[in-house]
Amino acid sequence: MSSNEQFNQISPSEFFYRNRDLAGFSNPTRSLYTAVREFVENSLDACDHSGILPNIHMTIKAVDPEKPDPKQYILTVKDNGPGIPSKHVPLAFGTVLYGSKFGLKQARGMFGLGATMAILYGQITTNKSVKVKSNADGKTRFDFEMLLDIQKNKPVIVKKQETPSSEKGLSVSICLDGDYSKAGTKIRDYVYQTSLITPYATISFDDPKGEKFHHKAIIRSMPPAPTIIAPHPYGIDVETIRRMLVDTHYQIPNVDDKMIEKVRKELGMSKKKFTYDEIMKKTEKKWKSLSRPVRVVISLMSFLEADFEKLQRIRIEDVDLRNNKLVYWDYSTSQTLVAEMDIESHYYKQLANTVQGESLTHFLSKRFQRVGPTAALEFCKFAKFKPETRVGNMTDQELVKLSDALQTYEGFRSPDPTCLAPLGDGPLEKGIERRFEPDFMAVVQRTASAYSGFPFVIEMGIAYGGKIETRGTTVYRFANRIPLLYDEGSDVVLKVVKDTDWNRYKVKNDSAPMIIVSHICSTRVPYKTVGKENVADRPEIEKELRLALQFLSRKLSGYMSKKGQAEMAKKRANLYSKYLPLVAQFCTELSGNKKEPNYKEMIKEETALNNSDGTLEEVKKNG
Amino acid sequence: MAKKQSKKETKKQTKKEKIDKSKNLISLLKKHGAQVYEDLENGEFPKFSIPNRSISNIIYDKKLRQYVLGTNTSLRSSRNSSQLRSFTQLLWLAFFANKLTHEKKSSTLRDVYYSSQAFAVDFEDQGESDNIIVDLEAVLSQPREDFYVFPEERSSIFGDLTIEYTIPGYEGKTQNLSSHPDGYAIGPSMTSAELVDTSAELVIAIEKGGLFTRFVEEQVDKKFKSIIINTGGQAPRSTRTLLKRLHDEMGLPVVILTDGDVYGEHIAMVIKSGSANAAHLKGLTVPDAKWMGVWATDIDKFKLPTIPMTESDIKRCYDLLKDPRYQEGLWKRELEVFIKIKRKAELEAFSKYGLNNITEKYLPKKLEESKSF
Repeated sequence: MSSNEQFNQISPSEFFYRNRDLAGFSNPTRSLYTAVREFVENSLDACDHSGILPNIHMTIKAVDPEKPDPKQYILTVKDNGPGIPSKHVPLAFGTVLYGSKFGLKQARGMFGLGATMAILYGQITTNKSVKVKSNADGKTRFDFEMLLDIQKNKPVIVKKQETPSSEKGLSVSICLDGDYSKAGTKIRDYVYQTSLITPYATISFDDPKGEKFHHKAIIRSMPPAPTIIAPHPYGIDVETIRRMLVDTHYQIPNVDDKMIEKVRKELGMSKKKFTYDEIMKKTEKKWKSLSRPVRVVISLMSFLEADFEKLQRIRIEDVDLRNNKLVYWDYSTSQTLVAEMDIESHYYKQLANTVQGESLTHFLSKRFQRVGPTAALEFCKFAKFKPETRVGNMTDQELVKLSDALQTYEGFRSPDPTCLAPLGDGPLEKGIERRFEPDFMAVVQRTASAYSGFPFVIEMGIAYGGKIETRGTTVYRFANRIPLLYDEGSDVVLKVVKDTDWNRYKVKNDSAPMIIVSHICSTRVPYKTVGKENVADRPEIEKELRLALQFLSRKLSGYMSKKGQAEMAKKRANLYSKYLPLVAQFCTELSGNKKEPNYKEMIKEETALNNSDGTLEEVKKNG
Repeated sequence: MAKKQSKKETKKQTKKEKIDKSKNLISLLKKHGAQVYEDLENGEFPKFSIPNRSISNIIYDKKLRQYVLGTNTSLRSSRNSSQLRSFTQLLWLAFFANKLTHEKKSSTLRDVYYSSQAFAVDFEDQGESDNIIVDLEAVLSQPREDFYVFPEERSSIFGDLTIEYTIPGYEGKTQNLSSHPDGYAIGPSMTSAELVDTSAELVIAIEKGGLFTRFVEEQVDKKFKSIIINTGGQAPRSTRTLLKRLHDEMGLPVVILTDGDVYGEHIAMVIKSGSANAAHLKGLTVPDAKWMGVWATDIDKFKLPTIPMTESDIKRCYDLLKDPRYQEGLWKRELEVFIKIKRKAELEAFSKYGLNNITEKYLPKKLEESKSF
């Protein structure tokens, strides 16, 4: 590196401008599709989080319809969501990395980054401004026309205007280079599949060729919104633990003979017996020279009003700062007692600084989701930690050991899925039912699980026959309610479906009219690429997918064998009506009789009987 | 003269037998038909009892010197939905066989397959219909030739033998089988013909058509007073029937000449004692027939050019060693020599020593030898 090398910081806008293909804006086809996705997903997220049933209208119009593709298109997405307060509009749409989505809960997009990227792409390719219309209060609509200053990462407002309006919502319109003739199929698929996984949303789309697609909402209730929650132990690493410990660096020392000896020494007390008052008096004089552990012990003694003798009889259980209570266990009376703490005293301050160095069990049960006191104790046994270990005192090796053990211990309950927003089996079932009207369908929502600390939930549905027109298994993949359309070959869901031996479930995989809907919900979906098109095969996710698919396949298998039995019975009935007349004919001629024997009754009986009989025969055969 | 007289008597007897056989068959078929009719009339599901032809039920009968079926039978019932179809097929075939026998019209396996289609009785392929034909053979214990279903493959016959046709349109017509040097095809008309007269004292069955022609050219029929039959590889059943009749009715000894390999040896064995495939049938074997050569021991003896045996040849040797018929004498000895030398010689190998070497040197020598075993 030469000495006169220039070191410059670039703005986030600049960075994304230079690396726009990372975010899916590599060519006009892909870019048009990505832009559609980003705006539609932002609208859906906004509606979801404010509990509004989404009604989204999208139009794509060619600026000059006569021109060949790729050409300029105007993309407009309008929703009935909460809108954006006018003061945030310029920053939200004019700044990269500005958003409301940073936090541990599930959303379609992570940072609201994509929409800005789309605007940036539009501006780069057409040099036209973005038009944003936002009505957040149901009274006034603010119309903005803006450009992005890429180098400064700042919006430039070209035009701003206010209109009274009662209709809440947001409308974004950009002009961009696109290729609808190539991207059209994907965009229509995207809209269709989005409506499948968001059955509570109404989505309409007017395409540049004048076609109108309208997907009406099927259900009128939304799945519960996700909440922000504490981390789950499975999803933790050393760094996260360290951060959680930052303010719990000190700890309350163990009070043993050695410790008491130390206190005496520091106070300069040689006598064996001291009263509580004597100790406190001495302390007042010598406080500044005392070491930290001694100060803590004396602080405790002050609230307990204890002399050394009493101090040896008790064990401190909790320093409850919120309620200003000191909870301790008295060995002499074998009970838990509580002492009040005066928050004005400097002893309180001393303790307050220290308490956050909780015991390990306390730390686990208070700072993590899904860990109670019992589970914490069990875990300590498993990980070979003393339950009373003070977290503030743990060495680096111990932290690594703790982090490893947290992830290998199998006793924790599954992560709290309240930070996730699965669709729920009811809405999923309705969505599939309405769109495909299948002969058979089953859905399952697995309990939440986690990979590298991120909780996830797998929802899956399977449908067979009816109005399903495709032959062979069609897999609809979704992640956080986003349809995944590109790069399906390398997706973990496809892998799991492919690995399944469908013959075992009485399904002819290559010709069966079957669809599988797979939905992965997670606070972070492990996409293989930035373009968010395929999910990497994390073993935890693969396992859950496999279990979900097995569950559904078994149900399908049950349906298939019943169907098989019905078909068998029908076949049998047909068999008798076909062959018995022939038998009659041949034996009549062979035996030289003139009249055919009376066999018609036999066919009737057989046809009536065959239902139960066919099943029996089938069982026998299999047995 | 006395000999001829006796021959004529036998002939008359056989003619009568033949008519009886045909009548027997028809009444047997009718009996089965009547049984089915009666069952239906009583509201019962008709069924056939078919001798089991699985390997476990095939046993070697030392007295008869052939494979026969054991006592196991399986039931094919129209009550069982998975058997209904094949039951109908079997009944149809009985019906069809009845028609053929009545009208004395011959047909082939392939004919049967296509004929079925006129009656809405469907066979998936010819394999299926062939199987049903064997089923009927087993039910009736009669070969299919008796109900006028003949194999496609044809072998041929040449020599001084006069026959009298019995097929419609040729009844009473006679033919001497030495008038055409290419030989006469052994088809339905030949199989069903009366054997009237012969001057031959011997039947030579040869495995190969080429050698058959050579034998005719070299006038083996005259030189050795013989009837020559080309089996065309494994002898078809009609040919085996004819061999049996030549032996039984005309009192002619049968000798067999095959390639010097394990397959040749087995061709001779099948003529002599039948095949496991036809264990359900009797009357296809010539237990007194003699395998004249080419033996494994001949290869060295006559210094024949050889080719190495293939792996499947050797495997076949070991398979046959387990066959009860190969447990003793010539059969076992030759098989073991084949295994030892691992080489084989074809009939044509004699051509190394001149085209007529086989007829002038080998044949007389072996014929002489064969009298002693």
